[in-house]
Amino acid sequence: MRRYGPALLLVLTGSAILRISLFSALYLRYVQAALRPYLVVSGVVLVVLGVLAAVVRRKQRKAYDEEEHEHEHEQEQDQDQDHDRDPERDHGHGHGHGHGHGHGHGHGHHGHGPRIAWLLVLPALALLLFPPPALGSYSASREAAQRAAQGVGRFPALPAGDPVALSVAQFSSRAMYDSGHSLTGRTVRMTGFVTHGDDGTWYVTRLLVSCCAADATTSKVEIRGAGDAPPSDTWMTVTGTWHPQGRLGTDAAWPPVLDATSARQVKQPADPYEKR
Amino acid sequence: MEDRRTVADGLRLAVRALVYAVLGGAALLAIATVASVLGPMLALDLYTPPVAAWWTVFTAIAVQGVPFLLLGTVVSAAIGAFVPARVFSRLLPSSPALAVPLAGAAGAVLPGCECASVPVAGSLMRRGVAPAAALAFLLSAPAINPVVLVATSIAFPGRPEMVLGRLVASLATAVGMGWLWARFGRDEWLRLPMRHAPAAASSGLRGFGAGLQHDFLHAGGFLVLGAAAAATFNIVVPRTVLDVFTGSPWLSVLLLAVLAVVLCVCSEADAFVAASLSGFSPTARLAFMVVGPMVDLKLIALQAGTFGRSFAVRFTSVTWVVAVVSSVLTGWWLL
Repeated sequence: MRRYGPALLLVLTGSAILRISLFSALYLRYVQAALRPYLVVSGVVLVVLGVLAAVVRRKQRKAYDEEEHEHEHEQEQDQDQDHDRDPERDHGHGHGHGHGHGHGHGHGHHGHGPRIAWLLVLPALALLLFPPPALGSYSASREAAQRAAQGVGRFPALPAGDPVALSVAQFSSRAMYDSGHSLTGRTVRMTGFVTHGDDGTWYVTRLLVSCCAADATTSKVEIRGAGDAPPSDTWMTVTGTWHPQGRLGTDAAWPPVLDATSARQVKQPADPYEKR
Repeated sequence: MEDRRTVADGLRLAVRALVYAVLGGAALLAIATVASVLGPMLALDLYTPPVAAWWTVFTAIAVQGVPFLLLGTVVSAAIGAFVPARVFSRLLPSSPALAVPLAGAAGAVLPGCECASVPVAGSLMRRGVAPAAALAFLLSAPAINPVVLVATSIAFPGRPEMVLGRLVASLATAVGMGWLWARFGRDEWLRLPMRHAPAAASSGLRGFGAGLQHDFLHAGGFLVLGAAAAATFNIVVPRTVLDVFTGSPWLSVLLLAVLAVVLCVCSEADAFVAASLSGFSPTARLAFMVVGPMVDLKLIALQAGTFGRSFAVRFTSVTWVVAVVSSVLTGWWLL
């Protein structure tokens, strides 16, 4: 077990990466979509590397065993049988010291790989057994939703469609900064999870991730006219029209407001975050 | 005689495999039973939203670091196994004063974030590159490569001076640190793992595989350590604290420079985070982008693992100061 530690770690890490990137779309909870091919390649490389490491290890053991056998043959036959009976202990000791220097990666840790590497087990097992959930209302509430930093200006025209599907971030930047008022008179549809404000207001919120979940930022839209607030973290698709409020680009215009005509509960989308 | 041995070998192998399978199976079964009984009970008490968010951020940092770390270790193992030392002595000027800026500018060719550059710098040193030059490369590579600069220009649309400021300030910090090391650095602070003993047969494919395996596992362990620290800060320090400091320009520069250390945002994403910190002055945001790729918790962990703790403490603290000074000067000049 200790001898095959490095190989085991590589295979474990690789299969954890493959489980979330190749065999499911769970990687979207942690990183942005464009990283998928790199994750798949890394996972394959790690698994192959681990298998190779195990094979090399096994060969080295064989070579060592034979070397030992021949060596002992020259001396006496009895010793050989003794060795056969207890190859494990005999070997486990001799290998680490005898061969540690020869094959290049044993230096200082007797061929068992660096000890710190065992920390890799934590994220690997977490991903394999209990993949952590996507960030939700807790993270959104901890962080004051940020206004995208940009100046007031004219936005390109909205795509056709009634209702037109927008991301929460698109809606809120148009609502706050578009001097062309492209949202006026349009029915829009957005999907996000529910967060609560003071005195019964509620928001449809979405986290934006540009590289990994550690850099998540929040955008949100206040929902009016859709009845009582659903419980936090419920995923909702809301349809409605923009309710202008405050002067463009000022704090009064934030967060933007939607007069909802319908709000229905949906399943959490495969990609829980919005891409910038 | 030979036959007898093969049969005995085969039998021994089969018996051993059987024993492993039974023992391993029993252990797995026991773990699965305990986990399925205790898991839900514990989960109700311990898996609160902050804990869940911690696990998500922790695994996210580790997952997104793996491809870059692998790229870095592949490059570093390839340097160790296939590139003879004399190539570098011929390419780089022998005087550190000249080699440092050259190595700093060479950082532009390694497209990756900071996880990739630490193992590469380690293997450059093992290949006889002067530590000062390798350190300049270590600092500049994650900050000024094309991927990062393009990301910066996307994050700050219509403001090319941010991209230029980032390039200038990062390069100045990297070269400055290289020169400082050449002048004041001491080799005994550096503890390079002399993995490749001179006589060992460590070149060629076998050496490449062994180096790759060792470097990845070693750096991977430290990446996990850094990810845990970053996730802890991410959950413990609320971003609303930031609003308190936006008033003072000096405090805000220092605050964002500290934030860059504790948040450990990947250098390819930090421009977007900087852009979203809209309450701060451009200089403070520049400091965030210059410090982040050079000093952060997971980098400190990685450097401590690769070069030794006494090196990491001295080097990162001086780098932090130099990076802040350099971004303030650049910000005053350009922004």
